[in-house]
Amino acid sequence: MRSVQYWAGGVIVAAASVAGAQRLMAQQDTTRDSVPPSLEQRVEALDQQVRILQRLRELAADSIAAAAKSGVSSTAGSKDGFSIKSADGKYVVRLRGLLQTDGRFFPSDSANPATNTFFLRRARPILEATVGKYLEFRLMPDFGQGTTALFDAYSDIKVSPGFAVRVGKFKEPVDLERLQSASDIVFAERSLASNLAPNRDVGLQLSGDIDSGRVAWQAGVFNGVPDLGNSDGDVSDAKDFSGRVFFQPFKRGSLKGLGVGVAGTAGLERGTTAAPQLAGYRTSGQQTWFRYLASTTTPAGNVFADGARQRLAPQAYFYTGSLGLHGEYIQSWQRVSRDAVPSVKLEHSAWQVTGSYFLTGEKNSWRSAAPRKPFDPKAGTFGAVELAARYSELSIDDAAFPAFANPSGTPSRARAWAVGVNWYLAKGIKALVDYEHTTFTGGAGTADRDPENFVATRVQYSF
Amino acid sequence: MTLSRLAAGSLLLVALAGGAVPAAAQRGAKPATLLNVSYDPTRELYEDFNRQFAAYWKGKTGQTVTVRQSHGGSGKQARSVIDGLQADVVTLALGYDIDVLADNGLLPADWQKQLPHNSAPYTSTVIFLVRKGNPKKIRDWPDLVRPGVSVVTPNPKTSGGARWNYLAAWGYALRRPGGDEAKARDFVGKLYRNVPVLDAGARGATTTFVERGIGDVLIAWENEALLAVKELGAGEVEVVVPSTSILAEPPVAVVAKVARKHGTEEVAKAYLDYLYTEAGQEIAARHFYRPIDPAVAAKYAAQFPRVDLFSLADVSGDWRATQQKHFADGGVFDRIYQPGR
Repeated sequence: MRSVQYWAGGVIVAAASVAGAQRLMAQQDTTRDSVPPSLEQRVEALDQQVRILQRLRELAADSIAAAAKSGVSSTAGSKDGFSIKSADGKYVVRLRGLLQTDGRFFPSDSANPATNTFFLRRARPILEATVGKYLEFRLMPDFGQGTTALFDAYSDIKVSPGFAVRVGKFKEPVDLERLQSASDIVFAERSLASNLAPNRDVGLQLSGDIDSGRVAWQAGVFNGVPDLGNSDGDVSDAKDFSGRVFFQPFKRGSLKGLGVGVAGTAGLERGTTAAPQLAGYRTSGQQTWFRYLASTTTPAGNVFADGARQRLAPQAYFYTGSLGLHGEYIQSWQRVSRDAVPSVKLEHSAWQVTGSYFLTGEKNSWRSAAPRKPFDPKAGTFGAVELAARYSELSIDDAAFPAFANPSGTPSRARAWAVGVNWYLAKGIKALVDYEHTTFTGGAGTADRDPENFVATRVQYSF
Repeated sequence: MTLSRLAAGSLLLVALAGGAVPAAAQRGAKPATLLNVSYDPTRELYEDFNRQFAAYWKGKTGQTVTVRQSHGGSGKQARSVIDGLQADVVTLALGYDIDVLADNGLLPADWQKQLPHNSAPYTSTVIFLVRKGNPKKIRDWPDLVRPGVSVVTPNPKTSGGARWNYLAAWGYALRRPGGDEAKARDFVGKLYRNVPVLDAGARGATTTFVERGIGDVLIAWENEALLAVKELGAGEVEVVVPSTSILAEPPVAVVAKVARKHGTEEVAKAYLDYLYTEAGQEIAARHFYRPIDPAVAAKYAAQFPRVDLFSLADVSGDWRATQQKHFADGGVFDRIYQPGR
């Protein structure tokens, strides 16, 4: 900036000098007032004046070019949103956003009525900043579903290209589906398997890449939220330790898109009858199908977390051409207590596998695709179309019944299969329709709870 | 012999072998690239020097070295390095521009002690270039403040050469009989009121004077003036040597932080050391920079006019004090340079 000032200053000073040059010639005239300047002298003076003006114009053009080269730049695009960048690239502010307008419909839901509704699933302004060479920052609230919640608020200290320290609130490195951005997930809602993993938590994480990204690792300490939890603080002194290692061993060839890893958490969680620190589990239609015993009238009988909690989550994905597959298995252990009932360590498990394929030939990947030919009716192009299918299930430990969950009203297992169509109109613009059928074991007296049929629609804009 | 002794012996052998061979030679043929960030008029000097150094280094170590060049006003170049231009070495017009790099942690504060002659491998001075036949009869500094004389010199805010020009004029006024700071300020003020165009660098000022035909006299680096005469022929422009001028000492330094990051410390140091060799001094002299090697200086004495030279210390102290007093915002130059009044 200083150099630009110098340049500009030089030109301004030089421009002012034209007046000096004119005055100079006037002085010349004055000193020779006894002898009027000859025509040749006048032409010569004018010639100098023209040359000076031409040179000043050259220097001004140079100044403008230099200023343009070294100045702050601003950009707008679907990749990075709106950004302002300093000349040296060390300071960048990016404004991005995600808006998902959904429809949620439950055909034939007479036994377990749920509301058919249009709503804003996610409405997230995203502010990201690069501050100097080593520090990055992200802030992402969500105003969707009529509530305000802070989802991401963290800073990354990028100590080296292969090592970073993250502090703040962010996704715990556990569940593969959760780690995929909400704007990139294949279905409108994540699968049953995501019920057994945390959402966002506050903590400190170390992460790094080894061998050009062939091995990625994260390790952190967090407050330790319950399954599906998204909290800004803790209710106990105990903390969770999380770790994940993910291998992408092939950088070339047909297995280039293969990734395999495992994640886990370990810690203690001690809730109370008033704040049990235990989650209920939901279908993709966001209907709670499993809950621990809890009562607002006799809270002393509520089930609460009371000791060790672990999770283990092997996971993998594979992308080749237009085909994408990802899947994971999650096993969780949580010791729970209730009133006079001896505490028990419950073991729940879940798994999911998701596949998708682009009919229009786009390359499938972990991130949302950009259509090869964006939707343009005048040009006769349609965008990209992706078909998707998924199967998932979640099993509750038998030991949970009947001491910690009511078997007549709470199923012990849910299984779901889903199909969907995604239409990518342009980079960042997507519409989708999903259908998911979920069946249950138990949960209706001695019979099974009625299946859930769920239709989701979404129009998404992200930048 | 135990395994541990065998291993220790092997390590010792490797270490000894390593010590006997220069590091670059050990690296074998892995090429290196240096960026030399320099001031405006040194283009030709370093084009020539880089070629010869690359050949010398290849012969000595087997390593191929490519030296890239960047040229501009010295102050502006220093600012670019601070802003991230990845210079392995700097060869700038004056010490202050390297001091600011040290202030920003790019090289040690005692950088000037790391090479001989205060890290200035050649010197120069400030002289005049006038039109053919010297129509304005310009002989010495007082002729530059005469009404009707148009003077071309670059902007001291951006150009190291311009700062030497300014200080040469200042020193002349200060050192003449009866001279004092007030008279020097008045003299330099009158001189800059005769300047119609302030270029950002010395090469730009030469372009203004020689190619654009502006002005009656160019205040120039001696090497720049002699080069212009050589390239244009004596018939186009003429050199005028003032009665007295300043001893300019353009310094050089390895930008330690960048060179360390690039792994080029050894070759960067060798590059600057080569400037002090007889071969390096010959190249400098051929490009009209005054060599510091007495033998080479004697060999080329005829091409350098005799001038009564005073030093920066004689007229303004060290570079930090000079910068603060004369060229910082609100300094003497800002106060005296008021064009058009």
